[in-house]
Amino acid sequence: MNNFTLKVAKFEIVRQLKKPAFWAATLLMPLLIGGIYFISFISSQDVDTNPTIDENTKIAITDDAGVFSEKAPYVINGDKEYGVEKVKNGEIDLYFYIPKDFKESKRAEFYHISEGLDIFNYDGNILKSLMMQDAAMRVDELDILALTSGYEIVDNKITKDGEASNALGKAIIPFAIGITFFMFIALCGNRFLLTVVEEKENRISEMILTSVSSKHLIVGKIIAMLVLGLIQIMALIIPVLILVFLNRDSQMIGPIVSIIEVDPLAIFLSVMLFIVSSVFYAGTCTFVGSLVSTAKDASSFIGPAIIMMVFPLYFMQMFMMEPNLVVQILTYFPFSAPIALMLRSGFGTITTPEYCIGLLVVAASAVVMVRLAVVSFQKNAINFSNVLLKLRKKA
Amino acid sequence: MAIVEVKNFKMIFGNKTVIKDLSFEVKKGEIFGLLGSNGSGKTTTLRALLGFYQPTGGELFVDGKKYNPEDSLVVVGYLPEERGLYRKESVIDTMIYFGELRGLKNPREWSLKYLERVGLLDKFNEKVEKLSGGQQQKVQLGLTIMGNPKLLILDEPTKGFDPMNRRLLMEIIEELHKKGAAIIMITHYMDEVEKLCDRALLLKDGVAKAYGTIAEIKKEFGGKSLEQIFVDIYGGDNE
Repeated sequence: MNNFTLKVAKFEIVRQLKKPAFWAATLLMPLLIGGIYFISFISSQDVDTNPTIDENTKIAITDDAGVFSEKAPYVINGDKEYGVEKVKNGEIDLYFYIPKDFKESKRAEFYHISEGLDIFNYDGNILKSLMMQDAAMRVDELDILALTSGYEIVDNKITKDGEASNALGKAIIPFAIGITFFMFIALCGNRFLLTVVEEKENRISEMILTSVSSKHLIVGKIIAMLVLGLIQIMALIIPVLILVFLNRDSQMIGPIVSIIEVDPLAIFLSVMLFIVSSVFYAGTCTFVGSLVSTAKDASSFIGPAIIMMVFPLYFMQMFMMEPNLVVQILTYFPFSAPIALMLRSGFGTITTPEYCIGLLVVAASAVVMVRLAVVSFQKNAINFSNVLLKLRKKA
Repeated sequence: MAIVEVKNFKMIFGNKTVIKDLSFEVKKGEIFGLLGSNGSGKTTTLRALLGFYQPTGGELFVDGKKYNPEDSLVVVGYLPEERGLYRKESVIDTMIYFGELRGLKNPREWSLKYLERVGLLDKFNEKVEKLSGGQQQKVQLGLTIMGNPKLLILDEPTKGFDPMNRRLLMEIIEELHKKGAAIIMITHYMDEVEKLCDRALLLKDGVAKAYGTIAEIKKEFGGKSLEQIFVDIYGGDNE
C-alpha cells in the first residue's frame, strides 16, 4: 500500500481514537442494541408465529395407534414411507405419523418441506389441534390422557430431495453478518460524510492537496474509516460472543448454538460481501461528501442512498420465498444488493453462482464509487459551494 | 532555468473565458509577482498550475512536468487565498501530519523549533480552534514552508495578517529566497512587489499586460511607479 495512503489513514485513525465521542458511540451501541433486543423479546411473548392452516393446505396422517376416529379427515391408509414420499413430491404439505406405541411412548413424527426460516413455519401443535377437533366429536371414545398429558412430536424438516433440513442453523451466520453490516451503516455513515466535508468546510483542501494526491487522500480516509468501523463493531461483537460462549449450555442459548451450521464457503462469501459492501457504502458517502460544502448539506443528500440500501428490508416476506422479479432486481441493483444478498443467503433462496454474481456487482460498484469519489474530490476540492444543491435547483 | 513554465494557457468556465492565451515562466531562485485586479485570473492560473483545474488549452509545468505532489522532486509550499486548518486538532498533530506528508524526517522536532521561533511553543498542544486568528496564520505559514520548498506559492500572503505577522512572513520569504527557493507571490501591495520581486506579470481579463523585470516594466510605462502603472492598466475596475 502506498506510503501516502498509510500516512493519511494513520492520521485519521489516531485523531478519531482520541475523541471521547468515538468511544461514547462505541460503548453506547451495545447498550442500545441490548435495550432494543429486550423490548422486542418482551413484546414477542404473545405473538403466535404459526401460520394459519388454510383450506388449501394438504394434510395427511397415518394413524397406526388408532387415536383418531375412523371417519376423521386427513387420515390415510398409506404407511410412513408412503406419506414421506408424498411430502417430498409436494402432494402433501404436512404429514404426521402416529406410531402404534404412541400411547406409551407419547411420541409422534411430523414431516414437511422446510421453507426458508422455520421460525415462521408450521410446528407439531397442528396435530394437537386436529386431535382436539376429532375428539370433540367422540369424547366418549377418546383417551383423555393422549390429549391432556404432554407428548413429543419429532419434527422432521426435509428438503425436496428428502434430505434433513437445517434452514435456521444455516441462516444464523449469514444473518449475523447482515446485522453487523446494518450496524456498520448506522455507526459509520455520518463519519464517512464528515471526513471529506471537513477539508472543504475548514478551507484546508488546497493546502492538503499540494502535499498528497486526492487519490491517496480519499483511499487513506476510507481505509481509516473502515478500520474505525471495525473497531466499533468488534467492541460490540466480542462481548456478545463471550456471553454466548459462557452460556453455551443454557436453555436459551444452547439449542441455538447446537444447530449453527458452519459452511466455510458461505462464511467466506458472506465476509467478502461484508467487505465490498462496506467499501461501496464508504465510497458512496465519500462521493456525496465531495459534492457538498458542509456537513449539514451532506446529511440531507445521503438519506436517499441509505434508504436504497435498506430497501430490501421492506420486502422481507418476498425474500423468504422463491425469488420473484422484484427480488431479482433488488439482488443485482448495487445499492440494494448488499442487504438483498445477505437476506437471500440467510433464507436459503440463492444459489452460490447467483451469490457470486451479486458479489461481483457490489465489488465493481465499490471500485467505481471510490474512483468517482476521488475524481469528484479533486474537482470540487476548491468548490466551496454545494454542487448537489445547484443541480437540484437546476432540475 | 525555469522552475515554472506556462505555455499558451487557456481557461474557460462555462461560457466565460477567464484566461485567453497566457505564457510566462518563473526562473529558479527568483521572486515573481503575479499581479492583477480581482477576477483577472491570477488564482485560476496558480490552481491550474497545481492541478486543481484542468486547463482548457496549453500546458503548465513545475520543474518540467505536470505537478503531482507525490511524484514531484520539487517540494512546493502553497499558501492559498482560501486557507484554514483542522480546527479540532492540536497544533502539533496538524504540523506533524503535514510534515510526514512532505517527507520530513523528524516533523515533530521541526514543528517545535518553528513554533518556538514564532512564539507559539506554549500552544503546541492546544486545539487550533483555541488559537487567535493571528496565531492560526502563523501555523498556516509553518505548514506552507515545511520541507524546505524549492517553489513557494503565496496567494495574497499578507491578506488579513497583522503587521507583526506580515513582518514575520517577509523575513521567512527572504530566508527561503536566500536558500534558493523560487517564490510566486500574488499581492495587491505594490510596495511589497517593488521591495521583494525580481520580475512580475500584470494580468488583465486573462491577458498579460506587462511582463518582465520590475525595471523593464517601469521603463515600458515611462518610468512610472508600479502603483501608478497598476492604476493606469486597471482604471476603475479594481475592487
